Amino acid sequence: MPMRFAAWKNQLTGYAFISPFLLGFLIFTAFPIAASLYLSFTDYDLFTAPSWVGFEQYERMFAGDPKFWRSLRVTFLYVFVGVPLRLTFALLIALLLNRASRAVGLYRTVYYLPSIIGGSVAVSIMWRNLYGDEGIINLALNLIGLESVRWFADPAAALWMLITLSVWQFGSSMLIFLAGLKNIPPSLYEAASVDGANPLQRFFRITMPLLTPVILFNTIMQTIAAFMTFIPAYIISKGEGGPLDGTLLYSLYLFRQAFVFYDMGYASAMAWILLLIVALLTALVFATSKYWVFYETKED
Amino acid sequence: MLLLTVLLTLALAACGGGGGNDGGSGGNGGNAQSSEGGSSGNAPGNSAGKSDSGAKDPEPVTLRMAWWGSQPRHDYTLQVIEMYQQKYPHVKIEPEYANFDDYWKKLAPQAAANDLPDIIQMDISYLSQYGGKGQLEDLTPYLGTIINTDHISENAISGGKLGDQLYGFNIGVNTIQFQYDPELLKKLGIEKPDENWTWDDYYALAGKAKEAGLYFDSGFRPEVFFGYYLRTKGQHLYSPDGTSLGYDDDQLFIDFFAPLAKLVADGDTPTPDVKAQIKGLEDDLLVKGQQVGVWQWTNQFVGLQQVANRPLEMAHMPGPNREQGLYLKPSMYFSISKNSKHKEEAAKFIDFWVNDIEANKLIKGDRGVPVNSQVIEAVKPTLDPALIKVFDYVAWAQENSSPMDPPDPNGAAEIIALFKEITEAMDFGKLSPEDAAKRFREEANAILARNK
Repeated sequence: MPMRFAAWKNQLTGYAFISPFLLGFLIFTAFPIAASLYLSFTDYDLFTAPSWVGFEQYERMFAGDPKFWRSLRVTFLYVFVGVPLRLTFALLIALLLNRASRAVGLYRTVYYLPSIIGGSVAVSIMWRNLYGDEGIINLALNLIGLESVRWFADPAAALWMLITLSVWQFGSSMLIFLAGLKNIPPSLYEAASVDGANPLQRFFRITMPLLTPVILFNTIMQTIAAFMTFIPAYIISKGEGGPLDGTLLYSLYLFRQAFVFYDMGYASAMAWILLLIVALLTALVFATSKYWVFYETKED
Repeated sequence: MLLLTVLLTLALAACGGGGGNDGGSGGNGGNAQSSEGGSSGNAPGNSAGKSDSGAKDPEPVTLRMAWWGSQPRHDYTLQVIEMYQQKYPHVKIEPEYANFDDYWKKLAPQAAANDLPDIIQMDISYLSQYGGKGQLEDLTPYLGTIINTDHISENAISGGKLGDQLYGFNIGVNTIQFQYDPELLKKLGIEKPDENWTWDDYYALAGKAKEAGLYFDSGFRPEVFFGYYLRTKGQHLYSPDGTSLGYDDDQLFIDFFAPLAKLVADGDTPTPDVKAQIKGLEDDLLVKGQQVGVWQWTNQFVGLQQVANRPLEMAHMPGPNREQGLYLKPSMYFSISKNSKHKEEAAKFIDFWVNDIEANKLIKGDRGVPVNSQVIEAVKPTLDPALIKVFDYVAWAQENSSPMDPPDPNGAAEIIALFKEITEAMDFGKLSPEDAAKRFREEANAILARNK
């Protein structure tokens, strides 16, 4: 059925209005994604045209590259230790800031600051210095009678530099938690208090259940972000992921394959595997969510 | 939101797509230019610039020039560019500079997009990669015509050859040595290392460092010094065709690295984490007076001495068979990119760089000892004593060394990273030299096998 001109025009106007996004999406998102999928099946060194190699890059990744597995291990450690710590920390601070206080606006800003600057190069460099052999962390350890830790010598210790940096950037999840807390009707707490519930009971029986949708959201967002962490690892290890691959996060290894070893095919394949891992994990979290996320509107 | 996870993919693919699309057009441009370059003698390469009023004035040309280095190098290089632009007002040179690591990360995507700068500072470990894959112009036709080679030895030039093609013009000569602080060495009980010292002498001397409250050195860059060691044994790091390692006996690896790992374990040389925390030359252990010396290239001597701000001395590499192991190497090259639209103008600049005496009074020896013997003679009297030492050392090495190995094969950057990883594990005591030798052989051969 032919569409009338007026209707066409109407639609065109609509498309014109969204064209900035649409074009941006097609040029900078859709096309590169498709291209990287293609490149992941090729051998491409930037100098000569990509040559098709089928699944060779993927085979090499899983069967012939121990470093890939090491970087995967480091990344999982980073995500599964770092994200829960970060969320716990964010929730604790949010609970503190949820109290009425005259300076609360100031506190909220102050606590949010690290998240704004946290991913930056400058902070990563500062972090390097904090953890240096004569840095302030070791100074503090010595002050309370503990031995200095050689953070740059031990792969496990080095990863903690990255984890603490990520925990320190709790601001955005904190703000979301704070919004979630504000949404919990005070009447519930009042009723519970009247019934004699202590603060701990109120937290676990009222706050936590009503906050689970927010926790779900934060968990997913932070997990995705954590898998993509690059800058701190790059700066703290001077781009090499050392010591002994202790800070070789997945993105950093991918970057090294691409821009240090000029192995774009392999790097593209790695990017797709990362996408799959993150997608699977997200699906998993969603699948389990019906057992632990409580939606107020849903009655059963 | 999931789309975010492929941000890195995007960056990659953006480069890839650009490369594929631009390949054709860039190539055509290059061909058109080279045919014109052949026919015209003095006329500068074609340029899209609007024609000037003066008919005889050469058309304005803009050249892009890229190099790596640190601030002092950037400073004088910009001065030389300024000097060149004053001499040739129709040429404008746009500098692009970075430190060594970032330089190569920037250059590769430029190569993919057929957008390499006209003049590229090139390193020996990347020469095969860029030259062998058609990114660089063969400079042979420019020799003697545009680039004057009257006072440059054939030997110095051939260091930029890959087969018959000259992909880089040597802009300075380098060799390896031990640079040290004589005052600190005295604390270990000797004035200076013996002229003909051996590796055993070195282990014994370095082994006294910890007692004296010092580090002896900061270790050896394996791809350079293990390479030297192999040469003293009549072996080479890479096979001639670059498809495998060049030595067969893992005992050589063990003999070289085991004593070094022991020095680290004993505290005579710093552990990798101590080195990882050095922020820059100002922070260097030798500069801070905590380390006796350093094994490195001759062109780094002056910079080190400047920052250390006290007299330093140089000593030979340990033997035996030093003469067989030692070699002169182009410290770096200038290459001309294949996609350059002004190859002759770029060659003229290279000619200026290597042959102009006033320019070389600014360049001094920072990029290695100049290749032009006349320039050396003219510049030498104007130099600091430290630089004169470097010039003299390289002159000595000229008579006491053997020809260098061919440029590193493709994958050298990966081999260097592998070396770094494996020696780090040895120095942390997490990997025995025997296992390291085996692992290095397996992984290095896997990388090099891709060149087959």
